[in-house]
Amino acid sequence: MSTTAQPAAAEGVTERPPAAAPAASVIQLEALSVRFGKRDILRGLTADLRGRSIGLLGPNGAGKSTLINTLLGFYKPVAGSARVFGRDITKETRSIRRMIGYMPENDAFISKMSAVSFVQMMGELSGLPSEVALERAHEALFYVGLAEARYRQIGTYSLGMKQLAKLAQAIVHGPKLLILDEPTNGLDPSARQRMIRMIREIRDTGEMRILMSSHLLRDVEDTCEEVLILKQGQIAHYSDLNQERRANRRFLELETYGANGDFVDAIERLGCECAATANRIKVVLADGVETRDVFRLAAERQVRIRRLNFRRDTLEDIFLKAMDV
Amino acid sequence: MAIYRRSYKPYTGALTATWSRWLVLFRYARRNLFRSKVQTVLFTICFFYPLLCLGGIYLAHNLSFLAQIGVSGNLISIDNRFFFRLLAVQGVLAFLLTAFIGPGLISPDLANGALPLYFCRPFSRAEYIVGKSSVLAITLSQITWIPGLVLFAIQAGFAGPRWAWDNLWIAGSLILGSLIWIAILSLLAMALSAWVKWRIVAGALLLAVMFFGAGFGQAINAVLRIESGYFFNLGYLMAAVWTDLFRIESEQSLSAGDAWIALLVYCVICLGLLVRKVRAYEVVR
Amino acid sequence: MKDRIVFENVSKFYDEILGVNHLNLSIPPGITSLVGPNGSGKTTLMNLMTGLVKPSRGQIYVLGCRTDDPENLFKMVGYSTQFDAFPKGLTGFQFLYSYLQLSGRDSHTAEQLAWRAIERVNLRNDAGRNIAGYSKGMRQRIRLAQALAHDPKVLVLDEPLNGLDPLARSESIALFRAAAELGCYVIISSHILHEVDVISDQVILLSNGYVVAEGQIQTVRSEIQEHPTQILIRCTRPRELAAKVIESELASEIAIHNDGRGLLLKTRNSDNFYLALNELALNGIEIESVTPADDDVFSVYEYLIGNEEVVR
Repeated sequence: MSTTAQPAAAEGVTERPPAAAPAASVIQLEALSVRFGKRDILRGLTADLRGRSIGLLGPNGAGKSTLINTLLGFYKPVAGSARVFGRDITKETRSIRRMIGYMPENDAFISKMSAVSFVQMMGELSGLPSEVALERAHEALFYVGLAEARYRQIGTYSLGMKQLAKLAQAIVHGPKLLILDEPTNGLDPSARQRMIRMIREIRDTGEMRILMSSHLLRDVEDTCEEVLILKQGQIAHYSDLNQERRANRRFLELETYGANGDFVDAIERLGCECAATANRIKVVLADGVETRDVFRLAAERQVRIRRLNFRRDTLEDIFLKAMDV
Repeated sequence: MAIYRRSYKPYTGALTATWSRWLVLFRYARRNLFRSKVQTVLFTICFFYPLLCLGGIYLAHNLSFLAQIGVSGNLISIDNRFFFRLLAVQGVLAFLLTAFIGPGLISPDLANGALPLYFCRPFSRAEYIVGKSSVLAITLSQITWIPGLVLFAIQAGFAGPRWAWDNLWIAGSLILGSLIWIAILSLLAMALSAWVKWRIVAGALLLAVMFFGAGFGQAINAVLRIESGYFFNLGYLMAAVWTDLFRIESEQSLSAGDAWIALLVYCVICLGLLVRKVRAYEVVR
Repeated sequence: MKDRIVFENVSKFYDEILGVNHLNLSIPPGITSLVGPNGSGKTTLMNLMTGLVKPSRGQIYVLGCRTDDPENLFKMVGYSTQFDAFPKGLTGFQFLYSYLQLSGRDSHTAEQLAWRAIERVNLRNDAGRNIAGYSKGMRQRIRLAQALAHDPKVLVLDEPLNGLDPLARSESIALFRAAAELGCYVIISSHILHEVDVISDQVILLSNGYVVAEGQIQTVRSEIQEHPTQILIRCTRPRELAAKVIESELASEIAIHNDGRGLLLKTRNSDNFYLALNELALNGIEIESVTPADDDVFSVYEYLIGNEEVVR
């Protein structure tokens, strides 16, 4: 992190179009299997993940934490292999760890240290010289939003601040891959929004790839380009969300005021399939039917369309389908 | 006018040498040591007796001064007993210092789950243990064999090379005796610190191991009429080793060889306990 | 009122610390969500409602029963706290069973009810295991089971979805919905605003111990006068649409989206605007999506509470 001179950007609704997924592989798994005692936790995982941000989903016990711990080199696979940025996790553990920043799910801090000392020490342990670590610690804490509180002991922090301190120690040494385990755990809505925004910013600057494990599908949907769904130690589904979004757009979702059965019937008479719950209506547009036809029907019946958008399967649908496999 | 915006930039500069990472832990722990007034004062007090010894050595070689103040003869003799006493006193002080420094070494890391953050970096468990124990090792060395050797050198300066050559073995015993005591204390303190989340409890346990161990050992000997109760008495074991190292006759019934073995067993047990606890993840069955 | 949960000018101070102040609420049946930053008084409110804490001032009536009448109160109320602590050494089943016995059931009924609750939260396979071995999600579910085991009319749940994976989340939500349909009063506190948006019948926003807003989300939103409704419309010819909207005089502010394929507008009269939009959509302008940019809990939250936030 450093200051760079840039012309002040105009404020506006900004949504940068996602860059094309770069070619280099981030994580490669080849028949990876991990065992604890007699239990097989991961069985033969094979995948090639290249996106800027990768989501890891799955029910409790599916093996998400185990996969993360294996990539970090804490567990040794009993069969198969895995590579991070092309390096084998069993042979080049140390150099992989140099490239990774890890934000664990559980509490991880040292109570009596100030945030600056803590992040500085973590930076030094990753190999930064002492003065550089101090500088970068300050910068990291500014970046995550802990500027005012950074001299206080971490033990006095609120939960949201502890999460941010965890994030700061994960990025201080400039890793190439950031592993986040439930980053929004326990955060209140404002803090959660800030965290998601920060993750998106990190994703968009392109310097760090992100692997995020979360139970909140919405968070994953908002930040990830690729999604890996695990179930009982195996890959239940892999999804490239960008592709999903660009796919065939014939599904429409509506929210209305003042609509009754008549409106839904009228749409169905056009040849479209409809599913209506409360005031939400899902429509599969038939060939030749456009949104303006729906508006026409609404105009005729004095229906106010509050919301209208094209929707491919949301991540929730994808996930639930994967669980039934 | 240019407007500066902060943004994230990766780090592309040089890294520190891989072998020196454990020093980071040493530096931070030392910083904590001197931040505490109590510990700093205690550390300073540990130098009083060596200074006293320095005075003693001076006096022993300046009999004229003694004559002036009216004391006659060879009151102070600088021999193996002299250095044995030094080690004994400093040994006790070392134990006290460990009781203060030791517990705070690993407990804070464990209390809030910070261990994974250490090991997700290019940093191994061995480096962690070495780094943490180095604080104790170096600090305790500063109050045991290092002043001891300095005093030895000064005495050698006064007494001449003949004396130094004849008594070189004392220097060796100083070093060896200190090192084994430092090792025991360090390993014990760190093992307790690793298994107990609260510093105060770990400190109390350390004291308990020493004192109750002694009492327990005596009790066993008395009740069961055997000798091996001494296994529980660390102080006794150490004394047995030191009296042997400094070639002092003692009436103790425990042979030095047995004492060495017992101490080694302690070391191994503590090391095992440490290794079991210091890892990146909790093993839950 | 016998069919509501009523707070009459309730305040709670812990010495000098403000828990809640000037609480006047009347909660109908259905799913009511409590929303607010950490420390805003949500847990205090729940503790007051379940009688665990006495108010410094004011009265609380749960379906006509005062909260200092524990015998009757606890027959009606089930509480699942946010704290993850359990008595040592019990299995899931024993935990529920002993709790039910404590509330006066004989052993046969208690056993039945315990198993029924276990079924409802899907813990049948693990009920015989020690709670200490449960994962976070399982502990959450056993807490939920304990709250609803005795079939209470009022369910007070503090962050009930915390730690649950997506499948368990939708199952729990379905459970709450089912209870609400039967006429129960389900009070849930949550940080996940988009879930709150979807499942709640009404919402209570708390900030710093005061109720900032309550009611159905749309009603609350329409009452926030200073902030006109923001609507984002993506279409092929935004400038044409913008011209037409300006003509119709229904919007107070219009901005063209950065990528040139949409416009963001603010209107104080969203109803009339939507009606007009139906007409505007017909004349050669291809509308791809209509999104209310702030008509949900999240925006309401931002407007009423958000700006008071500093990283605390």
